[in-house]
Amino acid sequence: METKMKKKLSENILDKFSIDFLRSQVLKNAYGNDDTVIAGLDPRILLVWYLFLGLVPWFVNNLWFLMACFLLVLVTTLLARVAGLVLLLFGVGVFTQTGYLLIVSFFFGGNASTVIPLLILTLKVATCSLASVTVFSGLDPDKLSNGLMWYGCPERLSFSISYAYRVLPMLMEEFQNILLSYRMRGNPPEHETFVGKVKYLIYQVKVVMHAFYPLMLNTAKRSRTTVEALEIKGYRYAAVNKTVKKMKLATLKVTYNDLLFLAVSFLWISLSLLASTLF
Amino acid sequence: MNIIEIENLTYSYPASPSPILKNISLQVEEGDFLAIVGNNGCGKSTFCKTLNGLIPHFIAGEFEGTVKVGGLNTLESDVGTLACKAGYVYQDFENQIVRPTVLDDASYACLNYAMEDYKERGREALSLCGLEGREEDYIWQLSGGQTHLLALAGAVSLRPDILILDEPIAQLDPGHADRIYGVLRELNETYGKTIIVIEHHTEYIADYCKHVMLMRDGGIAWKLPTDQALRRVEELESCNIFPPQVTIAAHQMKQEGRLPKDQPLPTTVEEGKEAFGMLRYQGPAAPEKTGETPGEPVVQFRDVFIAYRSVKGEDRVVFDRLNLEIRRGEKIALIGSNGAGKSTLMKLMVGLLKPGAGDILLDGESITKKRTENLSRKISLVYQNPEEMFIKDSIEADIAYAMQARHVEHYRERAQELLERFRLTELKGRDGRLLSGGQMRRASLAIGIALNPGILLLDEPTANLDIATRREIMGTLSDMKDITETVLIATHDMQLVCQWAQRIVVLCQGRVVADGTRDEIFGNKAVTDMVGIRPPEIFSMGQALHSQALCYTVEEFLQSFQEV
Repeated sequence: METKMKKKLSENILDKFSIDFLRSQVLKNAYGNDDTVIAGLDPRILLVWYLFLGLVPWFVNNLWFLMACFLLVLVTTLLARVAGLVLLLFGVGVFTQTGYLLIVSFFFGGNASTVIPLLILTLKVATCSLASVTVFSGLDPDKLSNGLMWYGCPERLSFSISYAYRVLPMLMEEFQNILLSYRMRGNPPEHETFVGKVKYLIYQVKVVMHAFYPLMLNTAKRSRTTVEALEIKGYRYAAVNKTVKKMKLATLKVTYNDLLFLAVSFLWISLSLLASTLF
Repeated sequence: MNIIEIENLTYSYPASPSPILKNISLQVEEGDFLAIVGNNGCGKSTFCKTLNGLIPHFIAGEFEGTVKVGGLNTLESDVGTLACKAGYVYQDFENQIVRPTVLDDASYACLNYAMEDYKERGREALSLCGLEGREEDYIWQLSGGQTHLLALAGAVSLRPDILILDEPIAQLDPGHADRIYGVLRELNETYGKTIIVIEHHTEYIADYCKHVMLMRDGGIAWKLPTDQALRRVEELESCNIFPPQVTIAAHQMKQEGRLPKDQPLPTTVEEGKEAFGMLRYQGPAAPEKTGETPGEPVVQFRDVFIAYRSVKGEDRVVFDRLNLEIRRGEKIALIGSNGAGKSTLMKLMVGLLKPGAGDILLDGESITKKRTENLSRKISLVYQNPEEMFIKDSIEADIAYAMQARHVEHYRERAQELLERFRLTELKGRDGRLLSGGQMRRASLAIGIALNPGILLLDEPTANLDIATRREIMGTLSDMKDITETVLIATHDMQLVCQWAQRIVVLCQGRVVADGTRDEIFGNKAVTDMVGIRPPEIFSMGQALHSQALCYTVEEFLQSFQEV
């Protein structure tokens, strides 16, 4: 009974982690959360906020301050309703960077003098990553690119960001179909035994690598139309035209919510500084 | 007033030895609805690109003569100015859409040309194209037909006087196709736009267009009013264009002396009523072939449930408790509108998708436990998009791939045989992607049957093909009848359905709403209305003359209706 359950579970995990799943996660991440508090904020405000939380923690070693920052970005990440896969990647990332050291030292007789510095380092890494997650996945790509453009990033960069999100789902679907071609027509090694499993894994990695070749060629074929369409739609004119830039940025507006968001963040950080001087 | 004036235009692509457009002179009147027809590779698309200035400003090459669009000489204006005169919608329109949301994409060009009212222009274009209320949607939420309308809106937003569309309905089901042409007619009649379409579907030309221009070998053979143009049956057929079935039927009758010589050929069902008025229905031409009785079930769907994850909110349910049985030796056509679940059904059968609940049996055994690789000897799927089947760098290697991987004996010889059978031997070293539409299809069919599967699934084998190539593929499919036992084709192509299928399964919103012979499907008005099936024109013609008449091909029509 139990083995059956286990088998089913492992099947399920493998089944879930397909290209289809990745595709839906990418879409969810980019556009699935456009109605959250974070998504409603002005990208310029959020970028300043990010600059603070992404840089300052590296130069401060005060535990209270770091804890407060971490909690703050934790809350904003929750508010942004970030897709599960991104959070998982974040978790794995932090753990492999420093988290495992922290746990190891905690269980193998580490005392405050070893645990605290590791905790501080882990908090720093976690805070910066979560702040990035909030900004880059809480905002939809268009808003983000407009924000970057306001700060003087070239128009081509910001167009690339939003266009990448536009084609990524298409590319992934195509990639999935090509992989399916391999699955239908290929003949992977049996994978009942351990050796078989290793061989199967190698086979799969090979297939994924081979599949890139047809993907690239198909994409090249498609992009002929896109390039012409961009020309007709005046993309090249817009890139050098100041008025267009102004019009694009006219949609950005700082609202009451943005100020509130900044104020709360500021208050919270100040409280932590106050606490750290009191205790 | 002429909105387009071309004089002695000759153009050749860079590094091409001979010109693709040869000494073209043409005038198009303002407010015209012009169809351009012609063989594959006769320069139709190239010609249209000279109108919006992509040639010679973006695509270089040798350009001679003058092209004036809306009074502007294209040589002296830039692409931006010309884009406001002539809008262009590509055949592969989904690659033309560059922004993530609907309104954004519709107004993108206006924003780029720094028009203050770009949002209003986008909204206006969307409402003209029937996409009102979808402004905030993301583009992947749109169906194929809606995506095409969005591409059109993107062009309309610049308020051009001329709209050019390259094969607007090649990928669409009849319901969506009618809608596109409805929108075009509205733009033409109410808003006075000049519309130019490259079109192979002569029934649509007869219904909607005012003039037809035939291109041959890079030149213009003639430009005539639609009815006169479509009556030139022999000339059109020599260029691989097939006039409406009504016209062909009348033409054949005339040649047999059954219609008076001086009677003009009808081009639409309406005109046909008059022309064929004196004919009397004689009963069905020949009793419908019942075929051999089908064998035992080979595929069974039992209460199958499947849903796709959606970006937001609830998962989208495609099938809920679907039941279907496919028997050995059957030739089945699967029809239904875009998004009815045809491709999903096929992917389930080859194990590329797993059902959420229920079971699928292949030869009595459940396939959910089996590996996809092991199914492929029994059942094979040919994709709608052949490019996705080319995983090697030559079609020979592609055809051999599955056999090689399974260590089939003499796989090289068998690959040669297949190349021969599908007339690909001369092309065997080429990459599949670089072949023409028809050659790509043939190559993908060869790949699909390489392992000699008992069941063959074809997803839209005739989509995106011009009529001549479509006929060729239909011929290939008939040839294949003896080597593949059970075949299932998902298609919008009703001529293919009528000529080829023994059984028709109609899907609508994830359900099998009808299942039977062509008489049972097309004879049942309730079903055809619900699903929006557009039967072949000759069938509608027969129906218009006599409600009992069920004729699916021109030959059947000619036999069923006789002079008194």
